[in-house]
Amino acid sequence: MEQLIEILNSVKPGVDFKKEQNLIEDHILDSLTIVMLVAQLNDEFDIEITPLDIVPENFKSAEAIYKMIERLEEE
Amino acid sequence: MSYTGYLYLFVFLELSYLFYIAVPLKYRWIELLVVSLVFYFFSSKWLVLLMVLCGFIVYFAGLFLNKINDGFSMARKALPKEERKDFKTIINWQKRAVVTVAVLSIFGILIYLKYYNFLLGSLNGLLKPLGLSASFKHLKLVLPLGISYYTLMAASYIIDVYRGKYRAETNPFKIILFLCFFPHITEGPIGRYDLLGPQLIEGHRASYKNFTYGTQLILWGLFKKIVIADRAASMVSTVFKNYTDYSGVVVLLAALMFTVQIYAEFSGCIDVVTGSAQLFGISLQSNFERPFFSKSINEFWRRWHITLGAWLRDYVFYAVSLSKPFMNLSKWAKKHFNEYYAAMVPALFALFFVWFGNGFWHGAGEKYILYGLYYYFIMALGMIMEPLFVKFFSATGLKRDSGFMNCLKTVRTIVLVVIGMLMFRATSMKAFYAMFGSIFKGFSFEPIINGAIFKLGTDAHDYLIIAVGVVILLIVGLLKERGHFIRAEVASMNLALRWVIYLALILSIIIFGAYGTGYGQVDPIYAQF
Repeated sequence: MEQLIEILNSVKPGVDFKKEQNLIEDHILDSLTIVMLVAQLNDEFDIEITPLDIVPENFKSAEAIYKMIERLEEE
Repeated sequence: MSYTGYLYLFVFLELSYLFYIAVPLKYRWIELLVVSLVFYFFSSKWLVLLMVLCGFIVYFAGLFLNKINDGFSMARKALPKEERKDFKTIINWQKRAVVTVAVLSIFGILIYLKYYNFLLGSLNGLLKPLGLSASFKHLKLVLPLGISYYTLMAASYIIDVYRGKYRAETNPFKIILFLCFFPHITEGPIGRYDLLGPQLIEGHRASYKNFTYGTQLILWGLFKKIVIADRAASMVSTVFKNYTDYSGVVVLLAALMFTVQIYAEFSGCIDVVTGSAQLFGISLQSNFERPFFSKSINEFWRRWHITLGAWLRDYVFYAVSLSKPFMNLSKWAKKHFNEYYAAMVPALFALFFVWFGNGFWHGAGEKYILYGLYYYFIMALGMIMEPLFVKFFSATGLKRDSGFMNCLKTVRTIVLVVIGMLMFRATSMKAFYAMFGSIFKGFSFEPIINGAIFKLGTDAHDYLIIAVGVVILLIVGLLKERGHFIRAEVASMNLALRWVIYLALILSIIIFGAYGTGYGQVDPIYAQF
């Protein structure tokens, strides 16, 4: 989780990702930052995030992103 | 058939609705299909067959993908674990081949009809300096109604099936209805099959709520289109047509008026079609969310022509930026740049395809391509400069999200959009450069003081109506920004007050609408794309 928070901060500095629960609805992450994030996540966690995974439920909070990573790591 | 014309509003829509509620629930989608085909035939005659062909192409491709997926699931279980990966690779190649053939076929029709003359004209231009004679002749090609819209919808359907978002539809006529549903065929919104398909197929009962909300939205859309947009059209047309005769404040005013015109017209027509669909209990995707309150160009495009932006995001931006070559590019960038720029590289490159696609979709011509790239340049610059902005604000202690800064950001966005609109409406890039440059040459308010601006096809009375209309749009926009659902609030008012508002809206359209003597019918700008 710490590693994920670090990546999130590198893509979008100045946001408290541990607290934010509405990253998509509050427009903290948009399609540009999501793609920047995905590029990092794919590399760091050795997973393959596809366009189908890019839905609000998977990116609404750091916790949701972490759950998606865990799921993709298992696949 | 124009959505704001008498034939549509007083005959076609009523008859379609009456037939819809007269047919048993189970068969209502068939009624929608028949009236949509009639609507299409009315505009494009036998070119309706091209739309049907497009439907059948994605239908067969979808069935093929279903078959491959089913075959894969059955065979996978029987295979040893180590062979499954190779088998999956082969299956993925087969699926990719099917979706590629389908997408190329439907885009092939669009490119041939919409871009043939432009592409061959460009080729002739390239061959000429090489001493080769220009041998390609222009063809007189007629565009079928809504081809730019239904092609995108058909492509989204087949790509979604390919990606495994949902299974392919087994009834071709349901896909055809999705493509040609009469409210969205002319200028969108660009629907998605998983959201719209089930709504179209399910029979909806007549409902007072849907009837009220739908009619309210149609009236509001007519107000925007007929009272504001069509009234602004004459001045805009005069100045842009004879741009060499004007400069300074007149050109600036024409750019502003065109911005008002295109917003009032496009969002107005979308309101009419969304309201029309709502009469039938069908909810179309939102296409506008008060774009002129945006604080950045990025936000503007999330609120303006939303369904086109979303289509480009899902099927171009994600597809390109998440592809293997682009991910490898990111790995390469990681070795050469800091974390932020390394992550930004694939997005920056993929964004180019989005904005090139956006410009090219609007029309065959360098002007439209440069229009798309204009926004690409602004966004790319914003992304590259972001770390500098962060440093600047932390060094100066200025609050980036203060009320004052937000106001500045909104004004900056509007200025950039108006420049974009000037390019969009100019007759050519040469005209755009000339018009843009002329704004700053000898700028004075003299044409307003001496009344010259009132002799361009739009008189003082017209300007006053447009100004009042814009203020009303602004008030309604502000209320919506604060979370008000105005249609529901009006519908829940007491009978007298409610009808005062309805009658005021109806009378304002009748009295202040730009139609009749002195006003030609203004064809919707977005219907030509």
